[in-house]
Amino acid sequence: MPSSTSPIIAEGLVRRFGKIEAVSGVDLEIASGEVFGFLGPNGAGKSTTVRMLTTLLRPTEGRASVAGYDVVKDADAVRRSIGVALQDAAIDPLMTGRELLRLQAVLHGIDKTEGKRRGEELLDTVGLSGAADRRVGTYSGGMRRRLDLALALIHAPIVLFLDEPTTGLDPNSRVALWDEVRRLNKESGTTVFLTTQYLEEADQLASRIAIIDGGKIVASGAPSQLKAEVGEPTLRVALSPGQEEGPAEAALLDFGKPVPESTGHVAIRLNGGAGRVGAVARVLDEQGIKIEGLELHNPSLDDVFQRATGRRLEGAEETGDVAEVPAE
Amino acid sequence: MSAAAQYLALSKRAALNTIRQPTSVVPAMLFPLLFIAMSSGALNRSISIPGFPKVDSFIQFGIPATIVQGVLFGAVGAGAAMATDIENGFFERLMASPVSRTSILVGRLAGAALMAFTQAWLFLGVITIFGVDIEGGIVAVFLISLVAAVLGAGIGAIAVSMGIRTGSSEAVQGAFPLLFAGLFLSSAFFPRNLMTGWFRSVANFNPLSHLIEGIRTQIITGIDLGDWATALGIAAGIGAFGLILAGRALDGRLKADHS
Repeated sequence: MPSSTSPIIAEGLVRRFGKIEAVSGVDLEIASGEVFGFLGPNGAGKSTTVRMLTTLLRPTEGRASVAGYDVVKDADAVRRSIGVALQDAAIDPLMTGRELLRLQAVLHGIDKTEGKRRGEELLDTVGLSGAADRRVGTYSGGMRRRLDLALALIHAPIVLFLDEPTTGLDPNSRVALWDEVRRLNKESGTTVFLTTQYLEEADQLASRIAIIDGGKIVASGAPSQLKAEVGEPTLRVALSPGQEEGPAEAALLDFGKPVPESTGHVAIRLNGGAGRVGAVARVLDEQGIKIEGLELHNPSLDDVFQRATGRRLEGAEETGDVAEVPAE
Repeated sequence: MSAAAQYLALSKRAALNTIRQPTSVVPAMLFPLLFIAMSSGALNRSISIPGFPKVDSFIQFGIPATIVQGVLFGAVGAGAAMATDIENGFFERLMASPVSRTSILVGRLAGAALMAFTQAWLFLGVITIFGVDIEGGIVAVFLISLVAAVLGAGIGAIAVSMGIRTGSSEAVQGAFPLLFAGLFLSSAFFPRNLMTGWFRSVANFNPLSHLIEGIRTQIITGIDLGDWATALGIAAGIGAFGLILAGRALDGRLKADHS
């Protein structure tokens, strides 16, 4: 019998591979119907955590329950309750989409008639009815991901795990998949545990996120709350070729705390908000600092990540509300 | 109902996978036939050596080896397919589903058995078209096909255990020459009573010799249920050995993920 109402609970979850500790004491509690984003760079421990929660890996320490069942003691019950779409859409390329859905239905103990009905419904939902009898090897990356999602949903799971579902997809396919996840969550109330390295994805989909780095959760909460905690926007100055960064950094010190940036740029957390951009531009001009442009970023999840870890997340440039102020 | 449906569904998938890969099916069907045709050209006069069993042609003598050779091809394919499932993540999808662990093995082995059964009918059918007599008739063809199917599942299980342990289809295919050597070190292409020295000792010890001779009897002299039972028993023994290896390999992989 399920032991708890929260569909995902992890307490002190640890996983070691030899001397390497991939996950170091992760605690999670995810509410029913929530879309939870698990955000972190490559190698942070996201997939290892998912593999423990989906019974594919046994935790070295700690415990976890999914859909109310212990992932170690009641692994079979967990598997019956979850849908899993792992990284790289592990789909047999020699089978057709329709055949794979029928197979997945059988593996979940769904009878033939119901499996067929559910398969057709899902093919329609993910927009693959027209390609259902084509071998999966001929599908594009986006089609494979959509089929993977349909496969994970064949038994109407209580909890859906999506491990980096849009990695490698083009922007259109990515947005289409996001729409599917939103619709699914809204219509069926399925709890979604989503891992991603894309800030925008977490921002767009998740009602709550946890940021993991080095196997530890370094921040968690609603995206809006986490961004509000960062406070001021970031002002990023693109320097003209040949312009030294030192004088620009010194000139900006009066306006806010420096933020790490790439070569040829300087950045600060701008005290007083967007209204002070003009003053910054004037000071830079007065001091003869040559710039190519100014960009004002409202706090993003990357800023949240940077605040928690002291560095930027890979792919950070893909997100954040940006107001660009070109140099005169 | 659910477990039986899972066995059936995974067996069907294995069979479809095999059929849809002509590069693995065609060699398994064609090469053994080419091999016996060429061997016949070179060795046909050997049938007149005193002590050689009374046969119409070398093909009639050697066709059991062709069947076993075909089975080896198919079985290695089953092992390679299992390794491919591990390589491309499909195995993990199965592991995350409420599927019985045995059905993962049974599905693959049923595919190998079906392939071996089909190969036996094909090879025996082709030689019949070319005028070679099968003394035991259609009953012999059926009995031989059963032995082939059990052997296919058995050697398939050994190959599948390699696939699970290595997770590499190349490694499984690399083991094919070893299995092939086992066939040559038997009475597949020459009667044991005409062998000498260490080769004869090895062939006497090699269970494939006795299996092949059990099949051969049905072709060159007619139905002999005793010899057939010996062949079937050896195939079943190889099957049991293979299943133990495959089961342990699967346990090992699951424990590696769960250690």
